[in-house]
Amino acid sequence: MLILAIDSATPVAGVALMEKGNLIKEEFVNYKKTHSESLMPMIDRVLRGCDCGISDLSAVAVTIGPGSFTGLRIGLAAAKGIGLASARPLLGINTLDALAYNIIGSDALLCPLLDARKQELYTAIYDGSYSCPLALTESLACSPKKFVDTALEVAAEQGKDSFILLGNGYYPYKDFFHEALGDSMTIAAEHLMLPRAAAVASLGMRKLEKGEIQDAFQIRPFYIRLSEAEYRLGKGVF
Amino acid sequence: MKKDILILGIETSCDETAAAIVRNGEDILSNIINSQVKIHQEFGGIVPEIASRKHIENIAAVVDLGFKEAGLDYRDIDAVAVTNTPGLVGALLVGLSFAKSFAYTLDKPLIAVNHLHGHIYANFLEHRNIEFPAVSLVVSGGHTSLIYMKDTGQFELIGQSRDDAAGEAFDKVARFLGLGYPGGPAIQEAARNGKAGLVKLPRVFLDRNDFEFSFSGLKTAAMNLWNKVKKGSNCTVNDIAAEFQAALVEVLVEKSIGAVQKYQAKSLMIAGGVAANEKLRTMMKNRAQDEGIPLYYPSLLLCTDNAAMIAGNAYYHYIHGHFAPLDTNAYPGLSSL
Ligand SMILES: [Zn+2]
Repeated sequence: MLILAIDSATPVAGVALMEKGNLIKEEFVNYKKTHSESLMPMIDRVLRGCDCGISDLSAVAVTIGPGSFTGLRIGLAAAKGIGLASARPLLGINTLDALAYNIIGSDALLCPLLDARKQELYTAIYDGSYSCPLALTESLACSPKKFVDTALEVAAEQGKDSFILLGNGYYPYKDFFHEALGDSMTIAAEHLMLPRAAAVASLGMRKLEKGEIQDAFQIRPFYIRLSEAEYRLGKGVF
Repeated sequence: MKKDILILGIETSCDETAAAIVRNGEDILSNIINSQVKIHQEFGGIVPEIASRKHIENIAAVVDLGFKEAGLDYRDIDAVAVTNTPGLVGALLVGLSFAKSFAYTLDKPLIAVNHLHGHIYANFLEHRNIEFPAVSLVVSGGHTSLIYMKDTGQFELIGQSRDDAAGEAFDKVARFLGLGYPGGPAIQEAARNGKAGLVKLPRVFLDRNDFEFSFSGLKTAAMNLWNKVKKGSNCTVNDIAAEFQAALVEVLVEKSIGAVQKYQAKSLMIAGGVAANEKLRTMMKNRAQDEGIPLYYPSLLLCTDNAAMIAGNAYYHYIHGHFAPLDTNAYPGLSSL
């Protein structure tokens, strides 16, 4: 079983190749070039680096969001092109699931945070004590304050008293988080602060085993947010 | 016998998700256009983020249908062509990213096509033996450009709009007059029931000895005029629409004819969404006939955005071996012609 994983939902672009549960190559870049320029050459290098081609793949995993609208469409369009041309199944992975999966086996609640601009975060709260983090909330687009309130609520419900924060959404609001959560909060190691295509591949493998597959016609982005214009037309008022 | 070259074209630069397969730059085997006009109508104009969202939803189905209609398998094509400039960058990136991985998977070359070149080459899908040098007028919601072509594949921008594109002016004036969106067809329809010349609007830049355009002033003049006459005059909104259309078309026609004469071109082509305008087609035909200039314009379906024109233009890239690398990017502006 060979899975190609693609992620370009945040400023990071990553591509990984996983063979029967073993990560055999990963490329990661968080620097200057646009995803449009970097992604396809990365896919090509990762495959060639393992003497593989598209025809060797069992499936393609891709982050479908939340994240930068344009970024996740670049990754998803790339996955769709491969999926359609090669008739391989596609595995849509929630970006927050992938980010949370950087940490497992912890008593703390896992709090992946992606910078969603406009003073908001994309986040969800996970139980980290399983072999694969378990989402305890929906994926949200919310203010840092709303995130903290939600995290404290979930902690009270679950009888937990500590949090691990990770993701690029931590940095713009770190003073606020430290103030609000104090000693109950720790930060992931720097190399675990960003989504990794390797984690996307692992989650993809689980989906493939469970038969949770889609094709190029079905798979859609998971934006959480409406477009600005739709909000203005009043479609976002719940 | 020469082998046929089959090219898949993909176009997502604005609000149409389109795919087509063209043989040898001439024969359209399929031409699928998924228009979002109805969706954007609700917003009174094109919303870039919504356009991108529709493109990513529809792209696989549109491309697949392109093959089905042509009766071909994915592997039968010789290359994948895609628009990468100009246009809405988020929209372009969907088509480009898809095209790259689709081509890569099939191990076929990728061809990056300039959308304006595509519009011009729509003419070659329907007309044979167009002679060079030629002058092309590309008029759409995004562009008003006069282009001199010394030979096939050679493009020299000789003039363009300094402000609004012709189609943009149509849209804005139509919205102001309450005629709806998209503005081109709305104004054309209103103008049919109105009379040009009852009131007078300016022919901007017509007196100038160059090939520049400006439609922002004409647009404002039309709006001001309507504000003035709508209170107690027998001049109707249809008359304003007719005069606005006449003023805009006259400038397009005279500048185009002027360019052909100055550059001693052997043919004149018009292209782009506004080239579907009846008034423009008729006036241009009459003037070209008077001056003895061979005039070409595409059928209505090929005036608006489509992928057949992209696949058509790509054929000329193909035979010259102009292929695009995997790190090709999308560019919203007209960085180069
Ligand atoms: Zn166009």
